[in-house]
Amino acid sequence: MTQPTGTCPNCGAKIVFRWSSSVQTVCEYCKSILICTNVDLQKVGEVADLPPDSSPIQIGTEGSYNHKGFVAIGRIIYEYAQGNWNEWHLMMHDGTSAWLSDAQDEYAVSFAAPGRKMPEAGQCRVGQRFSWDNQEYAVTTITNAHYRGVQGELPFQYWDKEDVLFVDLRTETGKFATLDYSDEKPALYLGEMVEFEDLALKNLRSFEGWS
Amino acid sequence: MTTMIRALYMAYGGLVLLGLVVAQYQGWSLARIDEVKNVPRSVRDNPGSYRSVYSSYHHYTGGK
Amino acid sequence: MSVGPTPPPKLQVKALNCPGCGASLTVRSFGNAVTIVCDSCHSILDAKDPSLQILQNFKVATDKARPLIPLGTRGKIRGTDYEVIGFQRRTIHVDGLPYSWHEYVLFNPYKGFRYLTEYEGHWNDVSILKALPTVNAYKSPPTVTYLGETYKHFQTAMAGTSYVLGEFPWQVRVGETAEVTDYISPPRVLSSERTGKEVTWSMGEYMSGADLWKTFRLPGDPPQPVGVYENQPSPMKGDVQNVWMVFGALLLALVVLLIGFDVSAQNKQIFTGSYKYDSRQRGEASFVTNDFELTGHTSNVEVETSTDLDNHWIYLNYALINEDTGQAFDFGREVSYYHGYDSDGSWSEGGPNDTVAVPSVPAGRYYLRVEPEGDPGYGVTYYNVTVKRDVPQYSFYGIALLALLAPAILLTWRSISFEHMRWAESDHAPISSGGDDDDD
Repeated sequence: MTQPTGTCPNCGAKIVFRWSSSVQTVCEYCKSILICTNVDLQKVGEVADLPPDSSPIQIGTEGSYNHKGFVAIGRIIYEYAQGNWNEWHLMMHDGTSAWLSDAQDEYAVSFAAPGRKMPEAGQCRVGQRFSWDNQEYAVTTITNAHYRGVQGELPFQYWDKEDVLFVDLRTETGKFATLDYSDEKPALYLGEMVEFEDLALKNLRSFEGWS
Repeated sequence: MTTMIRALYMAYGGLVLLGLVVAQYQGWSLARIDEVKNVPRSVRDNPGSYRSVYSSYHHYTGGK
Repeated sequence: MSVGPTPPPKLQVKALNCPGCGASLTVRSFGNAVTIVCDSCHSILDAKDPSLQILQNFKVATDKARPLIPLGTRGKIRGTDYEVIGFQRRTIHVDGLPYSWHEYVLFNPYKGFRYLTEYEGHWNDVSILKALPTVNAYKSPPTVTYLGETYKHFQTAMAGTSYVLGEFPWQVRVGETAEVTDYISPPRVLSSERTGKEVTWSMGEYMSGADLWKTFRLPGDPPQPVGVYENQPSPMKGDVQNVWMVFGALLLALVVLLIGFDVSAQNKQIFTGSYKYDSRQRGEASFVTNDFELTGHTSNVEVETSTDLDNHWIYLNYALINEDTGQAFDFGREVSYYHGYDSDGSWSEGGPNDTVAVPSVPAGRYYLRVEPEGDPGYGVTYYNVTVKRDVPQYSFYGIALLALLAPAILLTWRSISFEHMRWAESDHAPISSGGDDDDD
């Protein structure tokens, strides 16, 4: 599998892409946010120091979901009242994109679900119900989060946001949905809660005192 | 725990029923009976010569 | 393989100093904690703030609550190692009396958080639910269904945090209250905690202190459990049903035996004779009957005495004598019959007939020696003596039935009283306990 390569326009370091469809990446050396155009890489900003976080997942962590292997190739970090959480960008082995939400060691895998009817940001209340794909979801939390940074490869441009609104929904069967209002056009992700064990993660971060 | 309780109870029940079978077959009774050995043949002709354990019975002395 | 030259650093256990008193604090949760408590000066600190801003300072009213499992201890729960990083004591008030339980925060950097609760020696392994249970509010009292299991409402109370220690993945404050509702389906319990608009559901499973002491390798013994806890599994669970099923089988066997013995018993009348006794007469009253043959295996002999007594009595000395072996069965029977009228109506005592079963009589030729006795002033009594061979004795079946019933009844009673003790602590205590919590 050939991996596309490029050169960081800011510091000249070699950038290797794990995923051919990446739209944005971050140079690990100089922390520049780079957008992929047809021709080359353009720097659009810089990532400030990432907050200290305790996620056991890191870029390069491998795992499997629904019998399909994946690699974590990027992430978006958010901060909220309870601390930080990560949205890990997963590259499935078949080349598709998925998201692994990692908050206080609670995990959910979801996939972008475009083309479905979504409510307006101000319309959502806790307990309100919506239906997508024959499942009934109830709003469990409305979170005002603070965008804190990005790392690695992402399938879209995402940087320099301020406060973003997320609405989390769940079904009674453990299915999970998120309405992401960070852009003008809201985005819907559908997925489910998963147990840490079920992801069979390898190449995790190490913690002092824990093997 | 359940299989043990069940086994114990069945064993106990079996013993109770076994006791019942023996009692019925052997003709046990709850009555107060005394066994006396070697009663001489002469009692047939002279019933008065037989000394019963119960002969010193105190008479029932009244009604209600 | 990482692209950049700087892989994320290995996360370390941190040592910090309390801004309130300078005491050293150990942070074990690698940035997961939201609050951390200084045990020396009882300050609650903001763990997310690099300068550990003091959020609250609480006074310890009574004696310090000491965790039975010290912070930093590790043990395996459900196959995963967890470290105890936080501890709190929570209190509810029922009829003005405080009842406190303890909660331990357990942490694994990969698996996250779990909790242990302890009340009067009863332990529970608790985790936050990911999916939502269904509340069946139309029932009274309400029930909750989760993963196909139905949980019954046990108690609703306002719980206040009265002591905190260590690290917590949420904001704690001493004095903060939450409405806690427990629904039980032993050995599990579903708890809902409501603060303001937020509801958190968690599920607990009853654990024995002994198992915990083993996995956390703690010295000494766990605290002795007091009474019955809400979701404590009944040690007789399932046994009651089983025992009655076995009883049913044993009862069937009993009935079969009864029918069998009834059918196979000889139950034959061997001899009968009619006699007259005049108690006024002096001289030898004893006599012997003709001899008769008792056949079959060793079994009982029933001797029936039927009289014409009316408000009087007679006493008969019997001896059943084996003509060949000289073995005799010696017994005495008093027959009395009294009856009349009084202010309560008619009454009677005794009866004109008497039956006795002579046990284990071997086959052979026998005769009866009879010696009647009576009131010398009375007069004449007519009576018949009947001898029957191998008569079923139903009293033994009654005894066997009671013996078979006893364990089943005992077990059922124990199970009922166990459940009674369980529910005595709930909002739905049985009426006899007076609605209060009995001290147990």
